Amino acid sequence: MKNMTKATTAGVGNGRRAASRDPLGPNSEIGRKLKQYYDELVSDNVPDRFAQLLSQLEKAEPVQKKD
Amino acid sequence: MAAVSQGFKTDLLGSIPSLRAFAVSLTQNADKADDLVQETLVKAWDKHESFQPGTNLKAWLFTILRNEFYSQMRKRGREVQDSDGVMTARLAVHPAQHGQLDLEDFRGALELLPEDQREAIILIGASGFSYEEAAEICGCAVGTIKSRVSRARTRLQEILKISGEDEYGPDAISAQVTGSTAA
Repeated sequence: MKNMTKATTAGVGNGRRAASRDPLGPNSEIGRKLKQYYDELVSDNVPDRFAQLLSQLEKAEPVQKKD
Repeated sequence: MAAVSQGFKTDLLGSIPSLRAFAVSLTQNADKADDLVQETLVKAWDKHESFQPGTNLKAWLFTILRNEFYSQMRKRGREVQDSDGVMTARLAVHPAQHGQLDLEDFRGALELLPEDQREAIILIGASGFSYEEAAEICGCAVGTIKSRVSRARTRLQEILKISGEDEYGPDAISAQVTGSTAA
């Protein structure tokens, strides 16, 4: 029991040091979930409407041929 | 008026997945998010001349999207704003057990945050912006972003009942108390 308490305290200490550098880094549960949540959104398929929209905008104001 | 360059258009297309992710994070609604992205693309196209090539296009677009979001909210009289209190009571989040945290629970918790805290923690913790960039996107001081991220993180930990990860002060003690039941 005593050993476990010591280990826990040490763990918390390390965590605190890591946290002050990057509180949302890979050692943080919140940080990991946040990235998982966001990556899922980013990897969602983009609907065609956006490519169509840009084509329409392009027709209204053609892009430069060079560049 | 200078024409829009092909590179600009390609970069706009490439930014759409990130813009949609940020828009969903802000609106918490897929349809509203896509409308917001559409508005953002039209605005970006119209004012492409004000973008300075070589600077961060993503940050520029995020700024436009964010401004659009808040101006729409103002027009609608902030109908959706109520993150504190009532909704917290309605949401039933199961305490995380042994670090296992469901993504659904996390999504629910994120929804409970006030917008300013939610956008700050998303920009810093997920979109990969620096504190300086996030401050520029939100039009506020770096210190403000830092404190919003910190409050958001604390709030999420409270809602999700995560304890013992890199806590400050008294929470480190409560983590030990919680941990001792498992011993």
